[in-house]
Amino acid sequence: MNYTFKWSVLWSGQSGAWLLQGLITTLELSALAWLIAVALGILSGALRTVPFPPLRWLATFYVEFFRNVPLLVWMFFWYFAVPPLLPRFAQDWLFNHGAEFWAGTLALGVYHGARMSEVIRSGIGAIPRTQFEASVAMGLTTFQAYRLVILPVALRLIVPPGTNESLNLLKNSSVALTISVAELTFQTRQIETYTAKAIEALTAGTLIYLVLCLSIATIMARVERAYAIPGLISRRQAG
Amino acid sequence: MLRTLSLALAVLVALTATPALAQDTLDKIKQSGSLTIGTRTGSPPFAYVNKNNEWVGFSIDLVEQLIKPEVEKAVGKTIKVEKKESAPATRIPLLTSNAVDLIAETMTDTPQRRESVDFSLTFFYTGAQFLVKKGSPIHGVNDIGGKRIASQQGSTNAKIIREKYPQAQLREFPDQPAAFQALIQGQVDAYTNDGIQLAGLKAKSPKPEEWEVVGDFYSEEPYGMAMRKGDAKFKAAVDAGLKNGFESGKYFELYEKWFGAKGEVPYALTPQVKAYLMKQVGK
Repeated sequence: MNYTFKWSVLWSGQSGAWLLQGLITTLELSALAWLIAVALGILSGALRTVPFPPLRWLATFYVEFFRNVPLLVWMFFWYFAVPPLLPRFAQDWLFNHGAEFWAGTLALGVYHGARMSEVIRSGIGAIPRTQFEASVAMGLTTFQAYRLVILPVALRLIVPPGTNESLNLLKNSSVALTISVAELTFQTRQIETYTAKAIEALTAGTLIYLVLCLSIATIMARVERAYAIPGLISRRQAG
Repeated sequence: MLRTLSLALAVLVALTATPALAQDTLDKIKQSGSLTIGTRTGSPPFAYVNKNNEWVGFSIDLVEQLIKPEVEKAVGKTIKVEKKESAPATRIPLLTSNAVDLIAETMTDTPQRRESVDFSLTFFYTGAQFLVKKGSPIHGVNDIGGKRIASQQGSTNAKIIREKYPQAQLREFPDQPAAFQALIQGQVDAYTNDGIQLAGLKAKSPKPEEWEVVGDFYSEEPYGMAMRKGDAKFKAAVDAGLKNGFESGKYFELYEKWFGAKGEVPYALTPQVKAYLMKQVGK
């Protein structure tokens, strides 16, 4: 009796354009943060398994420090705590050129890098130690052994948990609205401001996230199949 | 894949389409013995948590001292007032889902919102201004071109700046503390919100003398209490409470308590605003 649905708010006025802008910002933010996360994740995940303790400690510190503090705090950290360390003119330049977006990207990328690191470490851990020893015995350096033998196999193994982590990253990009990044969730709230129709706006946002995540999951499942090494990983063919 | 998707959709539709129980608010209050209001924790002096960790404010006083007696009269028993946190993005859904019965905070009465909820008589009248550091070149809405302006997400001010002053760089934050922090650190050049909220923020800041509220009102912000649409009996009780307050002078005592010279946020009632408020009750 109380609430009259009015779905037309989603396609009348500027709502469509806002949702599209929000979607683009979400994708840009997530894609850049994902690149940072994967790079940091591979680096620190690999470092945590190398036979050189100081590097292991450094990587462990990074992982434990960044993944055990809430993402929201990291958003505020990169936006409020880092800029004052820069000279005044650099701050002004940043604030006029999308400091919000870059702070959000770093927060998301560095936080998820720490989480991605654990996924990659578990992938490396799944490879028998003897492979590394055999590589070294063949005359490869540690770096070569990782680059040519360990990582190519580990990265194939971690596609499913890596996909999961990537989807988390995409969904967590909505936290950037707290530092004024106009991403998808932000735009659904904006529609609410203009139309006072919160349920319709949130439903539109929900559906967009759902479609995005399902598409990524589908693509990643294909990637997994395409790059599988026959005989190395036995997997029941999913229906 | 398709099956999963259609199942997910079905769940979603079921969730969003569940109709609110057809029950009127006064019956609900009578049954539960409590009037549940949605209010703020960080909007002094309308609704905030004070130093003694009590949830108080002008809007809350209006409910407890003016509206509650009228609602008690209507349901024929004593009731208590329960408070829940609300925010611009959640207040209308809180009402429509029956989680709260009345929004008593700093909600501006707008035509768009009136399509979804009903509003009580106006209980406060303010307009949008800017909070700036003393000596800032911004003196009003005509000086904001090219400047970075913070606003609150979901507020009417953000909407006006975006539509009428697109030359300003708008930054929208979810709450007052984040927006004020951005102003303190120079992420933004000014923070715009309703004048009274800025006065409240300034009064509560560690160094009030460093800040200034500037500019003429560039918007009109009449605050009302929101309730579910089409519930005439409950609206009548809420309005009667406020009307009695205006007529008996009790409203002005509460105004003095919060906004008087010795109040939390001194903000004198101008004759124009007083006339506007009294006009609602035919005076």
